[in-house]
Amino acid sequence: MRAVIWLRWSVATMLTIGLLGAMQAQAQVPARFYWKTLSGANAVPLIFESISGNTNPFDPSHTVTAGANFDATLAMAGYARTFTLLDRSALAAVILPMGRISGSVTAAGNSVTQSADGFGDPMIEFVVNLLGPPAQKNLPDVLRYEPGFSVDLLADLAVPVGEYDSSQQLNIGQNRWYGRLGLPVIWQLGAWVPGRRTTLEFLPGVWLFGSNDDYVGQSLKTDALFQLDAHLTHDFTEHAWGSLDAAWYSGGKASINGVSGEKLDNFGLGLTLGYQINDNLNLTFGYKSTLNDEAPDDLRMDGFMITLVLGWHPLLEGARRLHGEK
Amino acid sequence: MTRTAPARKHHSLDYDEPEAAPGAHVKRPSICMVAGFIAALFTVTVQAQTQVKKPNIVIILADDMGFADMGAFGGEIKTPNLDSLANEGMRFTNFYTHASCSPTRSMLLSGVDTHLNGLGNMDEWTAPNQRGVPGYEGYLNDRVVTLPQLLKDAGYHTYMVGKWHLGKAPSQIPAARGFERDFSLLDGAGSYWDMTNFTNASPKSVFTEDGRYLRRLPKDYYATKTYTDKLIKFIDDNHGDGKPFFAYVAHQAPHDPYHLPRDWRNRHVGTYDQGWDAMRQARLKRQIDLGIMPAGTSLSERMWFVPDPTLLAPATRSVLGKKMELYTGMVENLDFHVGRLIDHLKKIGEYENTIFIVFGDNGAEGSDLFAMISGTPGTRDYLFAAINWSQTNPNAWGDPGSYVAYGPMWAQVSMTPFSQYKGWLAEGGIRNALIVSGPVVKRPKGSINHGLLHVADLMPTLLEIGGASYPKTHEGHELPPLMGKSWGRVLAGQEESPRTDQDYLAWELFGNRAVRQGEWKLRWQFRPLGKGDWELFDLKSDPAERKDLAAERPEKVKAMVELWDSYVRADNVVLPNRSVFETLYDQLPPRVPDDPGYPPLTSKRQFVPPKDMMADPKP
Repeated sequence: MRAVIWLRWSVATMLTIGLLGAMQAQAQVPARFYWKTLSGANAVPLIFESISGNTNPFDPSHTVTAGANFDATLAMAGYARTFTLLDRSALAAVILPMGRISGSVTAAGNSVTQSADGFGDPMIEFVVNLLGPPAQKNLPDVLRYEPGFSVDLLADLAVPVGEYDSSQQLNIGQNRWYGRLGLPVIWQLGAWVPGRRTTLEFLPGVWLFGSNDDYVGQSLKTDALFQLDAHLTHDFTEHAWGSLDAAWYSGGKASINGVSGEKLDNFGLGLTLGYQINDNLNLTFGYKSTLNDEAPDDLRMDGFMITLVLGWHPLLEGARRLHGEK
Repeated sequence: MTRTAPARKHHSLDYDEPEAAPGAHVKRPSICMVAGFIAALFTVTVQAQTQVKKPNIVIILADDMGFADMGAFGGEIKTPNLDSLANEGMRFTNFYTHASCSPTRSMLLSGVDTHLNGLGNMDEWTAPNQRGVPGYEGYLNDRVVTLPQLLKDAGYHTYMVGKWHLGKAPSQIPAARGFERDFSLLDGAGSYWDMTNFTNASPKSVFTEDGRYLRRLPKDYYATKTYTDKLIKFIDDNHGDGKPFFAYVAHQAPHDPYHLPRDWRNRHVGTYDQGWDAMRQARLKRQIDLGIMPAGTSLSERMWFVPDPTLLAPATRSVLGKKMELYTGMVENLDFHVGRLIDHLKKIGEYENTIFIVFGDNGAEGSDLFAMISGTPGTRDYLFAAINWSQTNPNAWGDPGSYVAYGPMWAQVSMTPFSQYKGWLAEGGIRNALIVSGPVVKRPKGSINHGLLHVADLMPTLLEIGGASYPKTHEGHELPPLMGKSWGRVLAGQEESPRTDQDYLAWELFGNRAVRQGEWKLRWQFRPLGKGDWELFDLKSDPAERKDLAAERPEKVKAMVELWDSYVRADNVVLPNRSVFETLYDQLPPRVPDDPGYPPLTSKRQFVPPKDMMADPKP
């Protein structure tokens, strides 16, 4: 009996991790995502992620559950539009996650496996610049744009309409409201010349979660989760760049029916390569992994991420059509 | 060159003595009582040298700076230090140089016409039929003596910093031509940050310091700053020995490429987005208000291939305007470093006894030098530029590896109200702003003079000031006569011009020709900036050279062509059989008149019907 309870807790913990993994993934955008552009521009971001892990950071018994695994394949598609708000750059976006998650825990010779797929909770994002250059309302503003030291206000809100099966722990949708407040920071280091740009970027933020009162018949609550992403980016050429990425998460202690796990305290490092394929397409490829995870009972989580952002602006498209006629 | 009616032989060029030490014997030297009083002059000069320090002389030569750039000449560019010299001294509005840099410099330093001093053509453009012809060596030849040589002999320290462009061989460099100390760029242009030059064949700029060719540049080198630092050190090294100095400060700025420290680049963001027409109008208005140009002066026509800026998209105006922002930064940075020199001279007590002479070496640059060098893909210079000069992003403008020049539209602004620009013999190519300040100026502070002056006048003027004379021979050979006239009486307020209405000036460069006599100007230029024929202008009523009077005044044309012919004979003019401009007519759009508002198609505003006559369509 004791083994069964232990297993149940282990699965719950693993699934929480899995859920959190999905949330983390949703929170993840590559470096340079919050660089500003011409007001009225449109973008369709496509984000693909493959995440796996073997860890049990929320084990309420403080016991590492060897043999826990999860794998997630996620895609996120969205639409974003830039605009001007009180002379500041602003962006509104909606992102829809979709994909598959599967997880299993093997303990005491018993194995529990669950999976889920479908569409997740769509997320609405709003970003407005607070400190930095004014909005780029016309092409001269674009030409003169240099971020210098700029700070934005970011607000995310996920709407709980994604796929959710209350009979199992593992779901794509979260069945609860959640969102984030953040302050994306871009700090220009040196000249703002394509091929030579260097930035230090931060995204401090806090995730806030509503409760899921139908979590396999139980109530799942999660404390606020603090997040700090950091990126050191540098151009290799006018069109290729790379970044050294770091992420730190703290908090986010989950409790099920009032029984708390441990708070999260994760640190990971990653690398990203970016390439501007043409005026409309940007591609990034990144990998991120937790550190100090050699021992069997260490936290281990890693993921690949590929992003493709298709952007356009009617003015530039028209100018190109005319130019192409010549 | 200048051909003269009978010249005045007696000029007086007194200068105020500096404060003498208590007990010192104060004597006012009359340096220029020259003719007939050689012995007396010798005595006076020696006494002056021993008892009263002669004035220091500083020539600030700005490379390609335009007539209308300095604030004192109507520019919106902030040049407080240069303006202070103008306000304490005099401004001249009818001062002529040559149409490009090395010819002007050759006349400045030799006082002799280009076709005699070795710069009958620029070294870079010597025509096949000019090769080997004396006077066309491409460097300042040894048949002339230089101003620093003569001033050094007269007791001056002689310093040079900046661009030389008058020869690179050991016998041609500043140290060999009279300068005791120098820090010099021998080339005509190059990077402001390092030794990078423009062509595959000549990839590295050549510098000298005190007569030695430099392997590398000093740390933290930036041309305008380093030249100023070096000059201040030269002055300090000898300060206190009682000798005056002559400093030739031949700044590279603001010649393209517009290399500029980052904190000078963005001081006028958006200022020039309004376009060149508005800037020219504003400058002309200020010039009229200041008294630089007479009321009623018209602007020259906008070059026919330069677009109406009001028809351009904001982004285009922004990018083109940013080029002018950079140029403005170049001039302001130059002014800042001139201010450093002024401040230093004040600090060491030399300012009050220093004559400043400030001008640009030719018209503002409207041609695309970079395109001339590397504009053709597939050439070796194009590949050289791809490696060394390809920082084309506007945010890189000013950095090493960027090449920005502002083009004919802004060159016309710099030359307001005149026509055309550097390289050409229209007023925009050869007429420049001149400031003279210091103890030699006897007129009220801030005076403006409209007398006819020429850069070659500096030799006789400064020899007078320095108590020197122009010898008949030098190192065993006879010297050509000086072409210029001293400004002594003009500076002293005794006459308005060193020239009479019969004196004339003449120019030839790249096959373009011009003669000015009194208010008349005769001009022959290659098509399409010229007509390939003589044109005649009355500069008094038409300084912008808008109306060719050749057909109306054939007798005047004939008379001035005779002046031209005499110039050709007297001054060894060999018209080139090849010219940088010979095919320009085939490269530029056909020339059409510039009629404001034409064609109306693109400037007609939306027709708005009367409101009470508007209606929805009937069903």
